[in-house]
Amino acid sequence: MKKILALALAAAMSLSLAACGGSGNPDGSSANNPGSAGKPNTDVSTPVDSKSDFKVGAVYITSQNDTAGYTFQHHSGITAAMKALGLDPADLIVVDNVPDNDDTAVATAIDTVVNQGADIVFGISFGYINAMAEKAETYPDVIFSHGTGYMANDTNFNNYFGRIYQARYLAGIAAGMKSAELGNNSIGYVAAYNRQYAETCSGINAFALGAQSANPDAVVHVNVIDTWGDEAKEKQAAQALIDAYNCCVISQHCDSAQPQLVAAQNNVFGCGYNSDMTEQAPGAHMTSAIWHWNVYYQTAIQAAMDCNGDASKFVEKMGGNAYYAGLAEGFVDASPLNESVAAPNTKAVMDAVRNLIISGEWDVFSGVKLSYNISDDGKVEIIKTDAPLMSDGYELKDGKVVEMANPEIVPAGGPSVDDGVIKGSMNYNVAGVIEG
Amino acid sequence: MKNRQPLFHVVKREDSRPGRQLLAYVTAVVLALAVGAVLLAVQGVEPLTFYKQMLTMGIPGSRYPWRAVENFIKLFVPLLIVSLALALAFKMRFWNIGGEGQFIMGAFWAGFAAMKLGEILPKPAMVLVMALCGAVGGGIYGLFAAALKVRFGTNETLLTLMLNYIALYFLQFFAETKAPWNFFLDPESARPKFAKFPAGAQMVTVPIGPFNLNLSLVAALALCVLIFVYLNYTKRGYEISVVGDSPNTARYAGMRVGRIVLRTIFLSAALIGMAGAFHMSSAGVMSASPTNDVGWTGIVVAWLAKLNTLGILAAALLITVLQFGCQTASAAYPAIDANFANLLQGVILFIVLAADFFTRFRLVRRAGKEAVK
Repeated sequence: MKKILALALAAAMSLSLAACGGSGNPDGSSANNPGSAGKPNTDVSTPVDSKSDFKVGAVYITSQNDTAGYTFQHHSGITAAMKALGLDPADLIVVDNVPDNDDTAVATAIDTVVNQGADIVFGISFGYINAMAEKAETYPDVIFSHGTGYMANDTNFNNYFGRIYQARYLAGIAAGMKSAELGNNSIGYVAAYNRQYAETCSGINAFALGAQSANPDAVVHVNVIDTWGDEAKEKQAAQALIDAYNCCVISQHCDSAQPQLVAAQNNVFGCGYNSDMTEQAPGAHMTSAIWHWNVYYQTAIQAAMDCNGDASKFVEKMGGNAYYAGLAEGFVDASPLNESVAAPNTKAVMDAVRNLIISGEWDVFSGVKLSYNISDDGKVEIIKTDAPLMSDGYELKDGKVVEMANPEIVPAGGPSVDDGVIKGSMNYNVAGVIEG
Repeated sequence: MKNRQPLFHVVKREDSRPGRQLLAYVTAVVLALAVGAVLLAVQGVEPLTFYKQMLTMGIPGSRYPWRAVENFIKLFVPLLIVSLALALAFKMRFWNIGGEGQFIMGAFWAGFAAMKLGEILPKPAMVLVMALCGAVGGGIYGLFAAALKVRFGTNETLLTLMLNYIALYFLQFFAETKAPWNFFLDPESARPKFAKFPAGAQMVTVPIGPFNLNLSLVAALALCVLIFVYLNYTKRGYEISVVGDSPNTARYAGMRVGRIVLRTIFLSAALIGMAGAFHMSSAGVMSASPTNDVGWTGIVVAWLAKLNTLGILAAALLITVLQFGCQTASAAYPAIDANFANLLQGVILFIVLAADFFTRFRLVRRAGKEAVK
């Protein structure tokens, strides 16, 4: 008996081996078939010209199969841009789940994307900066484009980011009008970081200035969570703002919709970020500051294709090596207002200010303050007043918060601060912002 | 009624043929690939094409094939050294799961040396100094857990595990703290960002045509030979296996168990720290998370190879091909991301363990007559 069983087991094992071996053999002989079977897919499209030869590559921080969040927004933007330009999104070369704090992993991912034939490589996370800069030198025949970074060269390497602060100003208007309507000057803001990054503190400042334009007494309480995304912390921070300061509107600079859900649970209101969060919190959410990444990706891919294989012309075709677009280009915006929860006339005011910013006559961080006159029939008149742009008197220097020598950022009537300040060196909060 | 026996029971095989074991392992890998093929097919990916790209790691027909080989070596060397080092500890039944922490500490002290001495020392000397600093840094970190075990009988599994997180956050503190004293960071960047090492601290490479041979590969292969000899042909290596089998026997034989444990764990952790140092000089810049999970994957490799040095070489090669190959192959498929490698790795480990079971034990059906009753 035992011998028979042993035999049977051995037979089963060798059979399975043979079966696997059997499937292994065709591997070699039919190696050509899958390749040729794969080709008709591309052959179906229009005859091969230089455009359909063009290959787009990307390195993502999380999975390309995400259904929400930062990578999802970029991936949607790239695929939408490819479709608009007649490229097949299925041909996008992606290495995903690449951590942004491991240069070797990033460099390897870029090598892989380039090796597979990419003509332009998008890197979406700030931490890719060293590797992107280095690889742009290694591969002068490939175009490199780095989101949120600041490094670039004069030929094949640029960076891109947007004036999201303009969208936050618009969201701030909605928050300010709501707080004026409710008679509660306390507004909360869940922030990933504050003065550590110009990106975060310029967002807080723009939002506060927008709120103050509609309600001069509005105060923005900032709760910092020290991470770009952590659902539990985002939730706790929002709840703490409501409990401690009785905030009537919760805004956010963090990844998930948790702060908006907390606002809904507490019957207060909110302004989201990244995507229109009215879907998640229909009874609380008013408007989000959102990105239209496809606007950049389409511009960049078009410029890259126009280079006709000479990658060194990319920066010239883009008209500079630091793409920085805003409301005017449609790169950022406030998502459609949820009028069932927003204060009356909010939409009209936001539209008026949006048009003012698009016209280029005025920008957020300048020595001119806005206020609004709303007539009975809902017509909005924007009143411009010369007033200095004041900080709260403190800045972050070498890791420490110290008093500023001169808290006046822009004198009354003065022009907007430089883009370099908004993108890189802003390290203070405007008056009316309170951290903690 | 008699006591009923279960339908099957497990009996140990008297004979153990190495041939059968090898066959079982090969079968396990093939079976795992077959499971993977089904999963690929379900997602609409042609499995054979995918596997072909995975096993060749996308090298044929790529623009810069030699660069793919260079990257492969950068992944392979740390995993190989860490697996070898962990096997030393495991052989002594010391459950060192602190490979991540020891690797990070090695990387940290190597980076420290590079930033402080990189401008002064010439290239080959600097790389050596980094390796030495990494080895001492990692070694002392491991010695700490070993000393507590020897002195107070603490549980090394918990201790080394927790030390991993301390090392990780220690390094992250330096990565994220922008301050004048923090010489690791690029002073010109407004945001915290690691500065590149001076040129002297970059790994020595030997150019062979367009390909640059990373010298750490040679070092790792030499280590393979040295450890094989150390474990199999030296008194110290013998002591390790005696302590592993039975500390009391070792004591009875007059071995100083505490000293052997301290010595071996220092050696194990120092090798891991050195792998961290090699990794840093190959990268040319610090990272906040430099390990690529080798401290964990190394455990898988060591056990897949049953702590056998040659086996570790083969298993480390296999796992690296899986990881790197999967990344390359999945780049062209929207449905597949790099996590597929982790899945395959898990399936392989699972089936190898099952195969291992059946080479050492067999199932016996209960006797026929009793079955009738």
